Amino acid sequence: MAIDPITQEIFANYCRATAESMAYTLYRTAHSTFVKETEDFTVGITTVGGETAAVPRDLGATWLIGLDYKKAIDLIPSYEEGDVCCTNDPYSGYVCTHAPDLHVWKPIFWEGELVCFTVGHIHNTDIGGAVPASLSRTLVEVHQEGIRVPPCKLYRAGVLNEELLGIMMLNVRAPEQNWGDTKALVGAMNTGERRIHEMIRKFGVETFKAGLAGLLDVAERQTREFLRAVPDGTYRYADYIDEDGDNGNPIRIALALTVAGDTATLDFSGSDPQLDASNNVPTGGHPRHTLLLVAVYYTLCTLNPRILINGGMCRPFTCICPDGSILNPRFPAAVGMRSLTCNRIRTAIFGAFSLALPDRMPAASSGASSIMNVMTTDNETGERIIAAINPIMGGGGALPFRDGSNGSGGDATFLKNSPIEITEAEVPIQVLRYGLEPDTGGPGRFRGGLAQVMEFMVFSPQSRITARNRDRCKFQPFGVLGGRAGKPSHFTLNPDGDKPVELGSRDILTCDPGDVIRIVSSGAGGYGDPFTRDVEAVLTDVRCGFVSPASARDDYGVAIAGDAVDTEATQALRTAAAPVPAGRHFDFGAFRDAYEAHWTRANYDAMTAILDGLPVNWRAFIKKRLFAELASDPGMARGNGGAVHAAFERIREGYPALRGRRRAA
Amino acid sequence: MQAAEATYRVGVDIGGTFTDFCVFDEVGRGIRTLKVLSRPDRPGSEVTTGLAELEQRYGIRPSQVTFFTHGSTVGVNTVIQRNGARVALLATRNFTDVLELARLRMPEAWSLYSIRPTPLVRKDLVFPITGRILSDGSVETALDRDSVVEAVRGARAKGAEAVAICLLNAFRNPAHERAVKAIVQELAPDLPVTCSSEVWPVIREYERTVTTVINGYIQPRIAHYITALQAALREAGVAADPLITKTNGGVMRASDAKVACVNMVLSGTASGVMGAAHAARAAGIRDALTLDIGGTSADVALVLGGEPKYGMGELIGDFPLYIPSVSVSSIGAGGGSIATVDALGTLKVGPESAGSTPGPACFGRGGERPTVTDAFAACGLLGQGTLGYSAVRLHPDRARLAVGELGQKLGLGVEDTAEAIIRIAVSGMYAEVNKILAKYGTDPRDLSLLAFGGAGPMMACFLARELGIDRVFVPLTPGVLSAMGGLVADMKNDLVRTLYVALDERTIGIVQATFAELEAAGRAWIEERLGVGADYRVVCSADMSYKGQSFEIEVPLEAGWIAAGDLAAITAAFHREHDAIYGISDAEAPCRIINARLVIVGQTPKPDFEPLPPATGPLAPRQEVEVRLDGRPCRAAVYDRADMQAGHRLTGPAIVVQSDTTTCIPGGFAGEVDAQGGLVLTRQA
Repeated sequence: MAIDPITQEIFANYCRATAESMAYTLYRTAHSTFVKETEDFTVGITTVGGETAAVPRDLGATWLIGLDYKKAIDLIPSYEEGDVCCTNDPYSGYVCTHAPDLHVWKPIFWEGELVCFTVGHIHNTDIGGAVPASLSRTLVEVHQEGIRVPPCKLYRAGVLNEELLGIMMLNVRAPEQNWGDTKALVGAMNTGERRIHEMIRKFGVETFKAGLAGLLDVAERQTREFLRAVPDGTYRYADYIDEDGDNGNPIRIALALTVAGDTATLDFSGSDPQLDASNNVPTGGHPRHTLLLVAVYYTLCTLNPRILINGGMCRPFTCICPDGSILNPRFPAAVGMRSLTCNRIRTAIFGAFSLALPDRMPAASSGASSIMNVMTTDNETGERIIAAINPIMGGGGALPFRDGSNGSGGDATFLKNSPIEITEAEVPIQVLRYGLEPDTGGPGRFRGGLAQVMEFMVFSPQSRITARNRDRCKFQPFGVLGGRAGKPSHFTLNPDGDKPVELGSRDILTCDPGDVIRIVSSGAGGYGDPFTRDVEAVLTDVRCGFVSPASARDDYGVAIAGDAVDTEATQALRTAAAPVPAGRHFDFGAFRDAYEAHWTRANYDAMTAILDGLPVNWRAFIKKRLFAELASDPGMARGNGGAVHAAFERIREGYPALRGRRRAA
Repeated sequence: MQAAEATYRVGVDIGGTFTDFCVFDEVGRGIRTLKVLSRPDRPGSEVTTGLAELEQRYGIRPSQVTFFTHGSTVGVNTVIQRNGARVALLATRNFTDVLELARLRMPEAWSLYSIRPTPLVRKDLVFPITGRILSDGSVETALDRDSVVEAVRGARAKGAEAVAICLLNAFRNPAHERAVKAIVQELAPDLPVTCSSEVWPVIREYERTVTTVINGYIQPRIAHYITALQAALREAGVAADPLITKTNGGVMRASDAKVACVNMVLSGTASGVMGAAHAARAAGIRDALTLDIGGTSADVALVLGGEPKYGMGELIGDFPLYIPSVSVSSIGAGGGSIATVDALGTLKVGPESAGSTPGPACFGRGGERPTVTDAFAACGLLGQGTLGYSAVRLHPDRARLAVGELGQKLGLGVEDTAEAIIRIAVSGMYAEVNKILAKYGTDPRDLSLLAFGGAGPMMACFLARELGIDRVFVPLTPGVLSAMGGLVADMKNDLVRTLYVALDERTIGIVQATFAELEAAGRAWIEERLGVGADYRVVCSADMSYKGQSFEIEVPLEAGWIAAGDLAAITAAFHREHDAIYGISDAEAPCRIINARLVIVGQTPKPDFEPLPPATGPLAPRQEVEVRLDGRPCRAAVYDRADMQAGHRLTGPAIVVQSDTTTCIPGGFAGEVDAQGGLVLTRQA
C-alpha cells in the first residue's frame, strides 16, 4: 500500500514529533553528564525489519541515524508486548559499537501484530572492565572493556529481568548512575509506544506501516537525486591517524568512492589491518554500517538541508571493508576508542567528495576532538577529584564561500565546553588560558577555522591528565584548491619553562605540583589561494588577533603597517608570489608530503597486499616490523613497492610459521 | 456619570506593525481597545497618535490617565536587526575569546556549513584586563590599572559607544569589575558602562558575558527611546510616569529600564503571556498553552496553575539571555508561511514567510505566493469581515489565484490544495509545539489552548485537534493581550547570589546570611518604588545539585526553613524535587547550593473587569457562507463578536469575526460565551 504524498508529509511531521517526544523524555529524565552535556544518546523508530525510519532532528548524537537493528532484532527468537531488549556487545549483531553504549529496542504491537520498534542508546560513563570509564587506547581485547550483554530481554512482557540487571550492576563502577539513565531510556521507549499507538488510531494501522516504509523511500529518493548530480567516477582519498600506540606507526584509512548514476560504493580496501589497540571499528562487514556513513549524512544534509534524515539515506551506498581490517576487526579485537578512527573515516569521505564536488565541499575540519580529563587531589581536603574539563577541538574547514568556524565546527558540532568558572569551582586546578590560537587556521582565499588552546596548572603530586583521541600532531587537515592545510596540534608540558616537553599524541600524563599543561588542537584547512584573499579580510583577521602580521605577509601576501594595509608593499608581495601549482587539489603540509615520498601509494599497496595475505593475528605485528625495517631504507624512494617486498622476505626468514606461506601477490 | 470624574489605566504595547492600546476604565470598569500603526522611525509618536485617537473615539483625555504601562520590542529588535551600540568588551587577559567560542556547540548539528552567530562585539573591540580573581574569590593577580587605561584608549580609538565588563569569577568577588568600572568612568565619563556583577551575578562566564554585552548593546537605544516616550507623554498631558514591562513578567520604573535595559528585552512577549495568563485565570482556566500567531512566527508559552513558566536562556535573536524570563518559545511558522512544491513534487509549507510585507496574497499588498492565510481565505474561512483596525481589506480572489497556481503543480483543485496547505502547516506546527510540551513533560490533554494574535484564533481549533486538546479559549480582546498584560503586571525584581557550596552545618550560616542580604536588597528596591510600608511578598528558591552534577535544578524554599536554619527541610525539598523530575534521588548523597535566589513582588492595583450582560436571546448569525472544511464543502454561520453576550452558544462549522482577528470553528466544536465575553470552544466527543 502506498499513501499519497500529502498524507506522507503530514505523517513525517507526526513521526518527527514522536521521535522528539522520546528524545525529550530521555533528555529530561536522564541525569548523567554524558546525556545532559554531550548529548551522547539516540532514539528512533525502526521498521519491523530494523531500518531506522525516524529520528529527532536537533537533539542527540549524529552518528547512529542510519543504524540497522536487524541482526540484533533477529538474535531474539520471539517478541511479545511489553518486552524491552538490550545489548552492549560490539560483536553481537553489530548494533552496539563499543561496550559503554547500551542499546535497547522495544517491539510495538497493534492488535497482536508487530508493527515497528522503538529504539535508542545511551553512553554509560562506566561499564566496568580494566580501567575507570572503560575506555583506553592500550586495551587489546574486548573482554577488558567491560561487562558485555548479548541481545536479551531487560523487560519480558513488562516485567523487569532483575537477575540480568543485578549482574550488569554488579560489574560496573557507578551502578546507580547507569540504572538511572537506563530507566530514562526505557521511559523514552514507552513514550514512543504511546505516541505510536496514537498515530495508529489517527492514521490507521495500514497507513502507519506504509507511512513508515514511505519515510525510508522519501529519504532514499532524495539521496539518489543527490547522487545523480555527482559526476560519475572513482574518487580516491586516503588519510592517516598519527600513531597506533605510544610512539607507534601511522594508521591509514584508504577509500575509493565510486559514484555510478544514483548509487555509490565506498571501498575501504587498503586501510590498515586491525590493531593491537582499541581503535578498531566493529562493523561486521555490514555494507551499510552507520559508522561508515556518518560523513555521508553530513554531506547530504549540508548540500540538501531539507533532506529527510533516516536510514533510507544509506540505501544507495555499499561499503567494502575487508575482513580483519581496522574497519572490520575480528572478535575479540578491542574497539573502545573507535571514535578516533571514525573521525578519520569521515575525513576520508569528505576528501573523496571534495574531489567529486570541489565547488561545494569544504576543506577538512580539524579532525581531532581531545576529551580532557584530570584526576588530582584537593590539597585542603585530601579528596581525590576526577573531572572532565573540556573537549579541545579545532575549527571547521573553510567553505567555498566563507571562512571556517573557529574553535569547533565542520563535523565536530555537538559537543559543548565546560565553563572555566565551573571547572575551577569543581577541580583544584587553575586555568591560565582558554581561547583561540592565532595562525592555526589553514590559509586560503577562505581561511580554515582556528584551533582552541587551553593551558592550566595543577597543584598536587600524582595529578593525572588523560587526553582521549589525541591526533593531528603530524598529519594535518587538508586544504583544497590552493588553500593550505590546517596547523598541527600540540600538547606540551611546561611550555614556558626551562625544559618544555612536547607530548605529541600521548594520551596520558602524570604531573607534579606547579606543572603547566598546554594543549592546542589542530586548525582546519583553507579553501582557495590565500594570495587572492580579500585584503580587508586579512586586515580584519590581524586586528582581531586571528592572524599575525608575519603570517599575513608570508601566507597571504598582505603587508600590514601599524593598523593599516601597506598597499604598495602588498601589491609587490602578491605580484611576486608563485601561482598555486595546477592539478594539485589538496595541500597536506610538509609532514605528509615527506611521509608519502617514502611511503608512496605503491609501497603502501605492497604492504597492504602482504598483510592481507597473513593470518589476522600476524598482521599488526608484521606491520610494526615492516615500519621498523623500512624506516630508513633508501629503496623506498623508488616508490614501486619493491623495497617493501624485499623487507618482508627478510623479516619472514626469522619466523618459521610464515616461511611456508606463498609470497603475496 | 460625568466624564470628568472618570480615570483610566492605559497599557500600550508597541509591536513591529501595530501599536496596541488597552484601556481600563477605573470607574465604569469597562475595557477599550485600539490599534494604531507603529512608527519605528519616530519612537513615541504612535503613543501621541493613540492618545489623540482615544480622546477622539472614546472621550478619554490624557489628564484622566492615572497609570500607564508600556511594553516594547525595541530591545529584541535592536539585537535582531543588529543596530545597537558599538560595544567594547573588557575581559580577563587570556580569556578574551569568550564570545567567539560561546559554548562550542554549533546551531545546526548536521551541517558542515553551520556557523555560530557573529558575536555582538567583534574581537578587535575585546580588550584584555590584567588581574585575576580565583574561584574562591581571592585575588591571584592584582588589577593592573594600566591595562584598563590601555583598554579605554583602544576602545576610544575604535569608536566604542558603550563598555561592557565581564571578568572571570566576578560572581564571587566583584571588586575588580567595580574598580575597572570606576576607572572607565573616570577616563571616559560619556561612555555608558555595564558590569556583569550588576546585571545577573551568576557562575558561568559565557552566559554572564553575553547577557552583559546585550545590556550594553541595547542601552543607548532604549534610553533614548524611553526618554522620547516620557517626553511624548508629558507633552500630551499624561501626568503618570510610565511603568515598563519586564522580561520576568513584572513592571519597573522608566528610570530603571534606562539602566537595566536587559530587563526589558522581552518586554512585549512576556507581557503577552502575562495578559494571557490573566485572561485564563479570569475564565477559571488554570493550565493553558498560550498560542500567539502573527505573520511570521508563533509564540508558544505554558501557563500552569495560573502562573507562566519561567526559565533562563531565552533566545534573543541569535543569543541566549541569562536572566529570569517568562519562557516563550518562538516557532518559525505563522499566517505568512509560504507553500511551495519541492523538486520531488512534495508540498512543503515554510520556513520562508511573506511576513507583513508583502504579506499574504489576499492582503493585496503585492504578495503573490500562497501562504497559510491564503489557504484559509481560499477555503472561504477568511474575508468575511475586515482585518485590523487599519482595515486591511481581504481579497479572497487573489488567495484563490495564488493557491490555484500551486495546485496545478500538484494536479489538485484550489480547495484541495488549500486544505492540504492547512493540514501540512498545522501538522508542522503540531510537531514544533509538541517539542515544547515534551521538553517540560506536559500532557497536552490537561491543557486549554488560549489563542491570540492576528492568526491564533484562525488556526487554534485545527491545532487543538492534533494536540489532543479539548478546549480552546479565545479571549474577548485577542488582539491586545500584550497591552493588557502590562495593566495586570506586578512590580517585580529578581535577585541572585552564587554560593556554590556544599550544604551542611558549616555552610548553613552563610546561606542564611545570603538570603538575609538578598531580602534586604529586595525590600530596599521595592520600598524605593512603592514607598515604605508597601505591600510585598518574597519568594525564595535555590538552584541545587548533587555533588559532581554538572547542572542544577531550582528548588522552592520556604522562608521559615531558611530562618530556622532547617537543613533537613531544605535537603528534603531538593531530594523531592530531584525525584519528581528524574524519578530517582539519593537521600545519602551530599548536595549543594549553587545559587540563592529571591523574587520580590510588590502588588500593583489589578483591574477587575465588568461582566458582560447576560444573553437576552439566542445569538443570531450575520450571514451564512459556503466554506471548505475537512475535505468537503459545507455551510458555516458567520457571527460578529460584538453581538455576543454572556451565555450565548454556537456550534461549528462557524466563523466569528471581530475587528482584529477571525476565529475559525470546524465542525465538532461547540462554543459558549463566558461571563467576561471570552469564547470557550469545546471539542465534542
